[in-house]
Amino acid sequence: MDLSQYAELFLAESREHLSACNQLLLDWEKSPANLAPVGGLFRAVHTVKGMAATMGYARVTDLAHRAENLLDLLRRGGRTATDELLQLLFRARDALEQAVELSVVGREEEIDVAEVIADLEGAATQLGRGGVAAGDIDARPTLVAVPAPAVETPVAAGRLVQVTLRAEAPIKGGRALLVTKKAQALGPVYAVTPPESAFEADEFDGRFSFRIGGAAGAEEIERAVRAAGDVERVTVGGEERRAAPGAAGPPTVPPETKSRHIRVDLGRLDGLMDLIGELVTVRGRLNELAASARDPAIDDVAIQVSRLSRELQDEIIQARMTPVWQVFDRFPRLVRDLARELGKQVAFRVEGKEIELDRAILDELGDPLLHLLRNAVDHGVESPAERRRRGKKPEAEIVLAAVRERASVAISVRDDGRGIDRKRILERAQRDGIVDPHAEALSDDQLLRVLARPGFSTADAVTSVSGRGVGIDVAVTRIRALGGSIDVRSEEGKGTTFVMRLPVTLAIVRALIAGVGTERYALPLTYVAETVEFGVQATTIVEGREAIVLRDRVVPLVHLRRLLGVSGDAPTRCPIIVLEMGERRSGVVVDGMLGQQEIVVKGFDAPQGTLPVFSGATIMGDGVPTLILDAGGLV
Amino acid sequence: MSHTVLVCDDAIFMRTMISDILAQAGFEVVGEAETGSQAVEKYRQLKPDLVTMDIVMPDMGGIDAVREIVKQDPDAKILMCSAMGQQALVVEAIQAGAKDFVVKPFQPSRVLEAVQRVLG
Amino acid sequence: MSDAGVVRLLLFRVGRLLCAAEAERVREILPRLEPTRIPGAPPVVAGVVNVRGSLVTLVEGWRALRQPDPSGDGGAGVSGTTVLLEVGGGKKVLGFTVDEVVDLVSVAGESLDRRQALPGIDPTLVRAVGRRADQLFVVLDTDALLTPILSS
Repeated sequence: MDLSQYAELFLAESREHLSACNQLLLDWEKSPANLAPVGGLFRAVHTVKGMAATMGYARVTDLAHRAENLLDLLRRGGRTATDELLQLLFRARDALEQAVELSVVGREEEIDVAEVIADLEGAATQLGRGGVAAGDIDARPTLVAVPAPAVETPVAAGRLVQVTLRAEAPIKGGRALLVTKKAQALGPVYAVTPPESAFEADEFDGRFSFRIGGAAGAEEIERAVRAAGDVERVTVGGEERRAAPGAAGPPTVPPETKSRHIRVDLGRLDGLMDLIGELVTVRGRLNELAASARDPAIDDVAIQVSRLSRELQDEIIQARMTPVWQVFDRFPRLVRDLARELGKQVAFRVEGKEIELDRAILDELGDPLLHLLRNAVDHGVESPAERRRRGKKPEAEIVLAAVRERASVAISVRDDGRGIDRKRILERAQRDGIVDPHAEALSDDQLLRVLARPGFSTADAVTSVSGRGVGIDVAVTRIRALGGSIDVRSEEGKGTTFVMRLPVTLAIVRALIAGVGTERYALPLTYVAETVEFGVQATTIVEGREAIVLRDRVVPLVHLRRLLGVSGDAPTRCPIIVLEMGERRSGVVVDGMLGQQEIVVKGFDAPQGTLPVFSGATIMGDGVPTLILDAGGLV
Repeated sequence: MSHTVLVCDDAIFMRTMISDILAQAGFEVVGEAETGSQAVEKYRQLKPDLVTMDIVMPDMGGIDAVREIVKQDPDAKILMCSAMGQQALVVEAIQAGAKDFVVKPFQPSRVLEAVQRVLG
Repeated sequence: MSDAGVVRLLLFRVGRLLCAAEAERVREILPRLEPTRIPGAPPVVAGVVNVRGSLVTLVEGWRALRQPDPSGDGGAGVSGTTVLLEVGGGKKVLGFTVDEVVDLVSVAGESLDRRQALPGIDPTLVRAVGRRADQLFVVLDTDALLTPILSS
């Protein structure tokens, strides 16, 4: 049987279970007397074991088996969690994860789990000595009428049946029990030797005997016994019969395969999305044709096609939506480990786990979040002693939260630590000429701009500015590439919050179509706050930039005509599209607004020199390609 | 007429694999269940000829599910799917009314043999 | 391009040059498509065009090969043709505007002279030079021609 087709499924599902293990371990750590997480752990590890065994990954199977043993003992023994146990189980989980990953890529021989296995065994032995398993062998209902001691039973009636199971038969006790059950259909079974309770023991070697009453003949009895499967040898009433060689070959099977996967490869969803994209484009064209044809029948069809394609599109977008916990779930463990390592006390909370995002976006979020959380633990929060000195409770709080906003999702990392030392950063930024040498303070905006400079953190200023720059540039770049934005708020002594705003989906967005000269550009509505009219609004100059003041807030202007190099003058009165990304705003001055529509976002190969203000392109209803402006590049 | 099967396992991986093995051998997998209680419910709805039942599942385990199903239908044909080292549980499942068992890792031939035994 | 064996080439005219591209790199031949300008891109990039729902960057052939502007010399290449070429080992497709497609020919590999300087054309863009009915043609190194435009 070709197993490679199952490898991906194995990997995906194992990862899920192992990720759940992390959470369960953390839960157990939090309330050591609660045994529910242990049951969950047992089931998860057990499932991984079964899958790994089927894939033929011996080392994963072995490791999982040892871990499962220990968990089983813990579960049955009702043990409370100890630090030592938890550490061991965390280690075992990590080892298991690594073993799974290596096995799938064919590097099984690199797996070294001897030490973990030895420790698991050691712990299991210790628990076993504590008499944990004793209560477990409870009195199960016995099947046979005549109980042990069986050997002494008078030979008054019935034939003696002696059975040897195949040496390679797994779970011989279960097989033996099936044999006695089959035999029971022919007559009363008694004097089972060894007694049935011994079938449950691992030491049972597959040789047993029983007596059977009734009128059944030897052949009939043998047939019944063999029908239980895995029987090597049967003797009935002293008469021995051997198994016919090669009895059970594998049956030939028709090559038809039926698949029932629930998981879908992201590539396939992308493919579907592309097709839908084309359909949406054609739909647009059809609508235009229908409008010019003025034929009610064509109108009807166009309307139906519109409705159907919209429903299809919604379905597919929905299929791409993935709850954020799929990425968030690994962080509690990470924060815990890091905090331990650094001697910090951190209460980590995750909020809005169920909020959904396009999988393509979510997949990209892991690294930026990792950077931000690491920074929060490492540099954001203070040591317990320092916190006490400052009159804070020794346990710091870090919150990772997802919140659905209009057409975007905001994901924030918030800590209640020391905050960013703005003075230090200001000095540094002034020295580097990033800000005006006379500036007295850094706004949150400028702060981010300084932190996001690549390489800023690697300088020696790192420790003195609490290393806030580490990885921020990575996070900013990644988020911007996804069409999102990142903001920072920080208050000295109170803490720091990073907020990332991301579009819910990358694939299809509603956009404003703006005209500039003879050209058209699409501007996703995700970040459009409002539109006002230029020429009516008074403009001022703020920090050398033309701006308008809207409800007491300064909004710097970007003249699209100038920016994009379109010759000629803009009309004297024209719209300003106000973009808002978190705290930052800007007003984009265009010639005119040509309406709103749904656009399918496509990538295009941006040639050298292309202005860095486009996030992609789309095809309009009339078939003409139109570039999509990136709000992040304009704000 | 092909036999109908209900496949119960909490791992999609296992369900997929068992379903593939059975489908290739001409069985009709009419349903899948992820938990014991789902298995009981689906058995009631689908009345399959055969049930493959994982022992360890969340919510309600496989053995309790066997008890429930046998209570409804004493003739239910249930094949337990167990892992190595579950001797005691397998014995318990058989006592509860399971007709046979297979042990992971599954070899298609052994699964089909066991199925034949159960249905035969 | 192997020296032995037969090479299939698409011959096309750009300005006064007769050029060729390996036929296996030619994805499709289309009429001239109206591009959408890409602000900031170099002049050699005409823009982006819609090829049945896919976006393709269009390179202006006469600019890339430093030929006179066809719209300026009275009509010859006004309609023009777009050749879709695979570049970067088939990973990307680019549109290349030519004045007209002339022919599809099979020539013996050894009849082509490897890279040879020709007056008025950048030698790095030339893979080989061939001859057809007394007329020289330039086998273009399409990767060398087009890849730098895309590397951003």
